[in-house]
Amino acid sequence: MSSPAVSLYLDPQIRDWVLFPITLILVGILRHYVVLLLQSPPKKLPKAAIREQRALSRSQILRATSANSPIPPSYYRSISSRLHTAFEAGTYLKDGPPQGDAPSTPANPMTDPAAMDGMMAGMKTQMVMMVPQMVIMGWINFFFQGFVLIKLPFPLTLGFKSMLQRGIETQDMDVRWVSSLSWYFLNFFGLNGLYRLILGNDNYTSQAMMSSPFAGTNQPGQPQDYVKLFKAEKDNLAFSEGLYSWLGDDVETRLLRKYSKL
Amino acid sequence: MLASLPSALQTLANYRIHNTRASKEVVEKGKVLLDAKTASSLGDDAWAFLEQLTLAAIDVANYEVADECLRQLAAQFPESPRVDVLSGIRMEATQPPETALKFYDELLETDSSNAAIYKRRISVLIRIGKIEQAVTELSDYLDTFYTDVEGWVELAELYSSCNQYTSATRALSHALLLAPQNPFYVLQFAETAYTADDIPLAIKMFMLALDIIDRHASEESIPTGVSIRAWYGVKLCCRALSERSCSSASDTLLPKNLPLLDELSTERVLTAYSAAGKDNATGRELVLSWMGPSDRSGSRLHFVR
Repeated sequence: MSSPAVSLYLDPQIRDWVLFPITLILVGILRHYVVLLLQSPPKKLPKAAIREQRALSRSQILRATSANSPIPPSYYRSISSRLHTAFEAGTYLKDGPPQGDAPSTPANPMTDPAAMDGMMAGMKTQMVMMVPQMVIMGWINFFFQGFVLIKLPFPLTLGFKSMLQRGIETQDMDVRWVSSLSWYFLNFFGLNGLYRLILGNDNYTSQAMMSSPFAGTNQPGQPQDYVKLFKAEKDNLAFSEGLYSWLGDDVETRLLRKYSKL
Repeated sequence: MLASLPSALQTLANYRIHNTRASKEVVEKGKVLLDAKTASSLGDDAWAFLEQLTLAAIDVANYEVADECLRQLAAQFPESPRVDVLSGIRMEATQPPETALKFYDELLETDSSNAAIYKRRISVLIRIGKIEQAVTELSDYLDTFYTDVEGWVELAELYSSCNQYTSATRALSHALLLAPQNPFYVLQFAETAYTADDIPLAIKMFMLALDIIDRHASEESIPTGVSIRAWYGVKLCCRALSERSCSSASDTLLPKNLPLLDELSTERVLTAYSAAGKDNATGRELVLSWMGPSDRSGSRLHFVR
């Protein structure tokens, strides 16, 4: 060991049996196909449920152009007031308008079988994400702790030491050497683009990155309380009506100016 | 023949992308491909091709090919709603409409979220002349699937066919909200309003259409295509407004500077016809004679749209 820069010689078998498996196969592709196997087909909603879900988008579409609306005032107002009354009366609710003044509670997901199904599906995919991750992590921890996997072709500062050499307690080693555990983490977070290239755009591996178990808890299949949403949308509608102006108001001036008649 | 297969596939894929309804060519090319059993080598594209060929074959009444395609599709995708729609269309082709309606009803019973089936049902209703029921069902369909622009335009056309022009403009206003960038819908709205005798609204909408179409036009440019039509619309509205007092059902205010607008629209229409070259000579004569006297002396010409 004359010079510290070329001090280590890595067994080529490490490259074949550790670097490639971690990089490609284990982290992503396997998981993609496992998820595909466990996916249940998307649940079909009855028509009334679709109507409830999409009712909000109707008012959003109306509001989107309200400041420069393509439709004349009387038409705008009739659509707007119709939506307003419908939201108020609960016409679009799946189970019809609410009876009496019973307090509107969000449906309990445990009692509604449809919501329960959605939750199960979400949990199933989450589990699938978790299990191989735990297995691979354990496997890597068990077999390859203390391994140096590759040497990066560029120098790095000492700050990267904790990132690149996890699992190796060597103070003096050059930061360019990467340990197996660190390599696994780097791939886990950084190979998104490659998976997209190999597996197509909507693969489950890259989606899992978004909602990876490290990203905190996300509630699967939380039922929406449409009664409340519709109430809020009513206010938005009133607000947009204040902003409303018709494109046609001064269109003749614009047109005459363009042909320099004015 | 084998050498032409890739090019045939290319053409067919092209038709699919551009939504071209060249049924005859599709069947001619597709039959060769179907006989050559190349479908399996196409991968996932094969199914899109089979769907295309089925529709084209039904279009030219080549039911053997259609049935063969349907058989292959049904074997690959049992219970697929898309194949259900195709077999429905196949049924419409040869069997009485009642059978098809019944088939669609059964499908909707099991799955009430299939938008394509609703549309097929409505199209059958229109074909057998039950316009009233079609309008009811179409409105109900649009109440759920609001974002279907074509549905709204179709509803407007149904209303227009029953002379319900005000209702037609109401349906079109939803299409405008959904596709504010499309000048054709604005033009259709304007023409429907004109027919409904809401001239102030019509002239505004004609001008709005021009605002979109002639975005990059200037004084020197020559109006073409829809632009000419819209300028004609403005001219017609100006003339109507100068001849009689027009009320507006939608309380639309009259545009300012009407005489200037009249002048401008006359000028634009004449520009379109003067620059068009010799092959347009008769058209130019007619336009000149229509424009001329009325502009100078204000004589009344009855103009039926």
